[in-house]
Amino acid sequence: MSMVKLVNVRKSFGNLEVLKGINLEIQSGEVVCIIGASGSGKSTMLRCLNHLERISTGEVYIQGELTDKREKNKDLMKIDPAKVQALCAELGMVFQNFNLFPHLTVIQNITVAPTIVKKVNKDVIEKTALVLLESVGLSEKRDEYPSRLSGGQQQRVAIARALAMEPKIMMFDEPTSALDPELVGEVLATMRHLAEEGMTMIIVTHEIGFAREVADRVIFMDEGVICEQGTPDEVLLNPKEERTKIFLNKIL
Amino acid sequence: MYLYEPRSNYFYDEGKINVLNETQLWAILEGTIVTLEIALVAIVVGAVFGVIVALGRISKNKVANALSWFYIWFFRGTPLLLQLFIIYYAIPIIYLEATGTSFQVDAMFCAFIAFSLNSTAYLAEIIRAAIESIDSGQMEAAKALGMSYRQAMTRIIIPQTFKRLVAPMGNELILLLKDTSLVSTIALFDLLRTVKTMASASGSWIYYIYAAAIYLFLTTIIQVVFDKMEKKLGVYER
Repeated sequence: MSMVKLVNVRKSFGNLEVLKGINLEIQSGEVVCIIGASGSGKSTMLRCLNHLERISTGEVYIQGELTDKREKNKDLMKIDPAKVQALCAELGMVFQNFNLFPHLTVIQNITVAPTIVKKVNKDVIEKTALVLLESVGLSEKRDEYPSRLSGGQQQRVAIARALAMEPKIMMFDEPTSALDPELVGEVLATMRHLAEEGMTMIIVTHEIGFAREVADRVIFMDEGVICEQGTPDEVLLNPKEERTKIFLNKIL
Repeated sequence: MYLYEPRSNYFYDEGKINVLNETQLWAILEGTIVTLEIALVAIVVGAVFGVIVALGRISKNKVANALSWFYIWFFRGTPLLLQLFIIYYAIPIIYLEATGTSFQVDAMFCAFIAFSLNSTAYLAEIIRAAIESIDSGQMEAAKALGMSYRQAMTRIIIPQTFKRLVAPMGNELILLLKDTSLVSTIALFDLLRTVKTMASASGSWIYYIYAAAIYLFLTTIIQVVFDKMEKKLGVYER
């Protein structure tokens, strides 16, 4: 089953074209890692999926339903905000800078969206939140404010927070790039665990080793296009494209 | 009332001019209440409407944006005294000319309106700046979790501005408290006008000292209370 699909997606910021015609379909249960130099459009592509950025041209589908269709920044479809919002909420997102809500405790960070967006009963969601905290190994931090947690712990709370909305897909935008090296492992372990449970995942990362290990498919992006994609072995060990080779040589 | 006496006698001459009698005490108290009432009404109304005007300034809606811009432009760009005159003197005349009937204006009510309109403009800018100082990642995270713009604003963004708003709000309240002396021009007896009347009636400057002491007393309370609030609202910061 197709979870997300991009059809000929272009995105410009002013005169700068960041995405230059992206076609991509991701199936249920797939773990896709996106690699590429900074500025290649990886993050922008993720953000176009859940409407954090509006595309300039092209079509976006979530679970087979059209959520955005535009031509040169003009809407070609009538958008029902409530419906699009609900579909976008099927995509959980984890950010490079965690973006936890600093004025809320760990448990409140996890429960706030389900209570106000999905109107889940407070007792029910608190139980779910505790289970999620347990699964990311942070039960004892439930009443702490984010400022008292390490970066790795904050990112694990952010993962639990996204999971509390019961997303169908989890998107990770360079989830370990802002972490001290010794904290990267704990976050990757949480993500690996999620992948093993069969979650559909789209991961923008610079952790090539991790990508090799968990990805079903690796996508290499360069200058706003998908330059090469395939299994981790194909793309990471035997890249066909010259640009992929150059990139891998630089970072390995 | 006391007649003019030679300067050298004012302070040391025991009794009559430097100690307040009961009538004066009540008059000063009433003046202080007028001053306090206007400042407090203005800060509360200003905070509520300030949020609305600030959201208009941030809004992508061109009409809301233009209206807020215009509001702030006018009420910050003209003297408060002028605004007070327009509301107290000009509007009844305009009304009279337009309808042929006159109406009774309550000076205190006019003062509430003028000070509230004015402080709304200043507070809107303070609130706008505070909202814009919140990291854009907060709005993105809220949206990614499915929250609407309104939910994200009321539950995530605006609560984070509270701590940042306390200091400038305290500042604004102190300014308002002192600016209330402008209402002496529309037949109200605020603290300053009350003591001014006593001072000119008696020829003694000591009443100004009393007024200064009361202003300082009130601003000190504001300062202490707002300092406490700022600490309390910042508990989540390390």
